[in-house]
Amino acid sequence: MFKKNTVAAGVAAFATIALATGCAVAEGNKSDEVDITAMSAEELAEYIIFESDSFRLEQEAQEGGTARDRMVQDDLQKACSFEGEPDGETAGEVVAMARAEYEAPEGDIELGDWEKGQELAFSGYGYRIGHNNDDHGTREPGGNCVNCHVFDPEGPTQGTIGPSLEGYGATRGDSQEMREYVHQVISNPHQFFPCAQMPRFQGLLDEEQISHIMAYMLDPDSPVNN
Amino acid sequence: MFKKALLALPVAMALGGLAAGGAAQASEWQDPTDVLQKLLDNNPDSKYLHQSEQNIMMMPDNPALWVAEDGEQLFYEERGPNNASLESCDFGKGPGVLEGAYVELPRYFEDTGKVMDFEHRLVHCMKEIQGFDADDPEVAQRHGNDTDVMQLTTYIAMQSSGMEWQPANEHPKEQAMLAAGEKLFFRRGGAMDFNCASCHGESGKRVRASRLPKMRDSQEWTKAVSWPAHRAGHDNVRSQGHRIRGCAWQMRHAGIKPDSMANTALIAFWNEAARGEPAVLPDLKR
Ligand code: HEC
Ligand code: HEC
Repeated sequence: MFKKNTVAAGVAAFATIALATGCAVAEGNKSDEVDITAMSAEELAEYIIFESDSFRLEQEAQEGGTARDRMVQDDLQKACSFEGEPDGETAGEVVAMARAEYEAPEGDIELGDWEKGQELAFSGYGYRIGHNNDDHGTREPGGNCVNCHVFDPEGPTQGTIGPSLEGYGATRGDSQEMREYVHQVISNPHQFFPCAQMPRFQGLLDEEQISHIMAYMLDPDSPVNN
Repeated sequence: MFKKALLALPVAMALGGLAAGGAAQASEWQDPTDVLQKLLDNNPDSKYLHQSEQNIMMMPDNPALWVAEDGEQLFYEERGPNNASLESCDFGKGPGVLEGAYVELPRYFEDTGKVMDFEHRLVHCMKEIQGFDADDPEVAQRHGNDTDVMQLTTYIAMQSSGMEWQPANEHPKEQAMLAAGEKLFFRRGGAMDFNCASCHGESGKRVRASRLPKMRDSQEWTKAVSWPAHRAGHDNVRSQGHRIRGCAWQMRHAGIKPDSMANTALIAFWNEAARGEPAVLPDLKR
């Protein structure tokens, strides 16, 4: 849901850049004839993405719309497009954006089925397009969580881009507050970790899928906690 | 035995080049195995470089060397509608000059008015000199040991093994593409908010079992960008463009096209990030 708003904002922002680069077009607007030295690096990067036929922008994206829509940055992505750690001001802005986007579930949060959650946490399927397209009609998208987190050292090798989540529920408990926190992190981690490498899963996974993954992390019977 | 002969050839060429012109080459040709061994010795703590013992052990028998052999034949063969060899192709250092050409790309070419990466330039020559059409499999098929493009790429890139990456950055268009490439590297976007730094910003991290090279660690990065490489998991030699396409796909960005400005800008920036470090060509990867 939030995706639509943010895409619209991104399109508006891109229009500004497109206007700004308009004067850089020498004759006509074929990519060959554009004076790339007359643009700022950022303008040129946007030009390259949207105007130079570099990407397969017309493909359909699994979340709806086209690859072109997908490549338009929303405000949060834009704010996090720098090298290194965010400064205090950026961090504050990003946290605020993330909180505004986040949609809290109504009522108490229930855990789903940890076994389904485990499968989803290990699945790297979904949302890939280009030379090979993931078909959500034949297989549901997963969470990619083990690309970046160790959940269960007994399982196949897991990634280390994010912190280890081994024993997560066993050490932190399974209170309603804890569930709220985990739901917030999975849905939109920038509420706590501005510009973190972790994707915002609200919109990518549905609420049921998130409840299964939360069970994998918090259920006392899950291998994560044993 | 055959492989030794193959390796001896570029050595002779490199030495010949030195003796003849004394042109200020940043460095001379070195066997890719030796280049990698030095990188390993210099960086005992790099988890990326040391992720696999087998990698260095297999280097002398790198299957990419056979692909380079095929590429050598193709390079000198008169072929295509124009029945011409590629000897008059200018990769930036003059017609037919291959030593050191690969590590200085991408660069601006007067004849096209464009900054071109290696593969873009190769395909340009195959079309212009040999007369291939964009749809002909010789230029349309880019991936796999059997393709002309990969065979030629491997042979030509090998002529730069051990030489330092120094992508051209004098012409304003080269500088513009480099700067745009840096922006693209850090631009977060796509369905999962990734930029390239999401996975290549730190040393020693892993995506599942894969160790990730850090872009700002030039000694890790020189191996990272050293393609063509025989990719063991694919049992094929792969190109820089193939790697970029794979990462863009994993990033859930839009599919990236070969010979495109985005591809060239990214390659300009990633070769720049390895500037001054010796290239491992061809390399071997997991
Ligand atoms: C691309 C890498 C990546 C992916 C994929 C990823 N995460 Fe994360 N995650 C991170 C990073 C990095 C952090 C830490 C941010 C920080 O500390 O600045 C994090 C933080 C977290 C935290 C907070 C840990 C704490 O200290 O309380 C939780 C919980 C979490 N991730 C769960 C998940 C789940 C569940 C998934 C899959 C649905 C997932 N992550 C997918 C990178 C990732
Ligand atoms: C979601 C994580 C992720 C993102 C984002 C990502 N990559 Fe990668 N990249 C990988 C993985 C995994 C490998 C394979 C490493 C290995 O096999 O050791 C890799 C490999 C590479 C390599 C070759 C290193 C090697 O030894 O195979 C280069 C160069 C590279 N990526 C560049 C980029 C660029 C440029 C971008 C942005 C367009 C990018 N990557 C974005 C995960 C990522």
